[in-house]
Amino acid sequence: MSERSLSPLLACVLAFALIITLFPIFWIVMTAIKPPTDWNAVPAIWVPSEPTLVNFQTLFDPEALGVYGVGGVSEAATASVFGSLLASIVSTGLSVGIGLAAAIAISRYSGGSRSTPLIILSGRMVPPAAMAVPFVIIFSTIGVIDTYLGLIAIYVAITLPFSTWMLKSFVDEVPKEVEEAAMIDGQTRIMAHLTVTIPLIKGGLFATTLFIFILNWSEFLFALVLSYTSIETIPVRLAKYVTATAGTLYGVQAALAVIAMIPLVIAGFLIQNHLARGMTFGAVKR
Amino acid sequence: MALQSDIAGNATDLTSGGSASKPVKRRGTRRKALGRSLLLPGQLISLLVLVLPLLVAFYMSFTNWSPTRGPLSSAEWIGLFNYEELLVYDTRFVEAVLRTLIFGVICLSLEFLIGLGLAVLFLRRFRGKAFFFSALLTPMMVLPVVVGYTFWMLFQSNGPINQLIELVLGEGAAPAWFKSALTAQITVIVTEVWHWTPLFFLILLSGLNAVPENPVRAATILGASPRQVFWRVVLPMLLPVIVIAFVIRAMEVIKLFDEVFMLTRGGPGSSTETISLYIYKLAFNDFQLAYGAAAAFLVLIGTLVLVHLLLTPVRNQLLEARS
Repeated sequence: MSERSLSPLLACVLAFALIITLFPIFWIVMTAIKPPTDWNAVPAIWVPSEPTLVNFQTLFDPEALGVYGVGGVSEAATASVFGSLLASIVSTGLSVGIGLAAAIAISRYSGGSRSTPLIILSGRMVPPAAMAVPFVIIFSTIGVIDTYLGLIAIYVAITLPFSTWMLKSFVDEVPKEVEEAAMIDGQTRIMAHLTVTIPLIKGGLFATTLFIFILNWSEFLFALVLSYTSIETIPVRLAKYVTATAGTLYGVQAALAVIAMIPLVIAGFLIQNHLARGMTFGAVKR
Repeated sequence: MALQSDIAGNATDLTSGGSASKPVKRRGTRRKALGRSLLLPGQLISLLVLVLPLLVAFYMSFTNWSPTRGPLSSAEWIGLFNYEELLVYDTRFVEAVLRTLIFGVICLSLEFLIGLGLAVLFLRRFRGKAFFFSALLTPMMVLPVVVGYTFWMLFQSNGPINQLIELVLGEGAAPAWFKSALTAQITVIVTEVWHWTPLFFLILLSGLNAVPENPVRAATILGASPRQVFWRVVLPMLLPVIVIAFVIRAMEVIKLFDEVFMLTRGGPGSSTETISLYIYKLAFNDFQLAYGAAAAFLVLIGTLVLVHLLLTPVRNQLLEARS
């Protein structure tokens, strides 16, 4: 299509879009480094004159805010950071591993039927709020409620459609002939996949892994209803802080939000060329 | 498609296998067995973790079970009572459904229009394009919970948004966003549009970049204006991608929960209560689990119908692209 350059008017539109896009992120980062006196100031303070890391410190040491003469949070957020890391990393590994096997099966052995994509898509339509009810009942019956095992099982199951179809779109791009060449050299089918197919989709595997990690790390509702006392993730901790203080512990909550955001923004930028593929189950390639 | 690749698979077997027909057949079954066993773990997980709970919920929706009434097996069968109650008498449910649909239509329209505008802008050449592209994608990488909390802060009475409004319109012009229904609904829509416009932008830009050059060039040579080229040539070719974007977003917006939970909790009153939020409150605040399950199934059926309708114009292209 046309490749003209931007007129001044369009440049202004673009600059405006950029400001709108980045302003909320700017605000949460600024709030995270504000001392308590600046949190709720009237008029609102945009850039703190004395930036501080005390909010981040408070997350791991609830008494740290004491130097400002204010009470800190009731509980440290340390457990939630570990919980998020554990649940996200383990379930991402499992989802990508199982999804890779399924992707090879569907791409190379025509597993599943013509309507499989639509069936899998239907699985994504179940509102999590609806699934949460039977999960709570079944999980309490078999005793995995409030355990990472239960949470991980759910995360694997709900991200499996994404990992399978995203990986399938990468496997599809590997010509069958290279696998056949390896098999003529005497390798079994499964060895051919391990030594030829998988190395060839390394980049895709990396992108899928980060994409599934983003989904798991962001998940909120299941973590909220399936955690009582022994497990916790960052989104749940953030919601608990907000509930406990009517949201007014601005700086500390913003600090936790920033911690939650950092890995995702990094992961997102690393795979920005594959985001469309992931979000559309491989239907949009680039 | 499945059938085609099956034929292709058998054909390669014929060429790489021996000339005798028996070994070919044996290899064929072994191939299938490998395919099946590779698919098995995924199917098992989906069956155990998704299908089984759904069946339990389905059964539950015909009972009056609640956790205080003992185990599920002892629950009383009440047939379609829950469903009737929801559709006929529960105005809060019907309102939540309509509200979610209205939110969805408004949000998706805005996201589509802004996303398309930005995507068209990115067909041009300009300096710093890669930077602008990455920067504009940032919102979709932020956790929904964090987005909700951030906008809750931004919309506070003494927050930066009201500060700017008062700067422009004068003292006292800024509303208390979360105190009245309409303004609270606006905060939900603004948040959702900020969060997900980048997805439309991204998908539409991918689609625009994949539009073949020849028809565009031919139309230009035949004297079509750039505007005509866009509306008559490019947009029709973009249609499948547009539908995909709408379907993906529609499925998500119907489940809208995290952002609203952090922003308004459905308030004031129930003026921003989405379906998911209502079901959540039914199940986990009021412990009406069976009733909540029935509501969930109605939503599921509705979503299936909606997505089916949305997909109809492009079903064939979509399946083509998938396989």
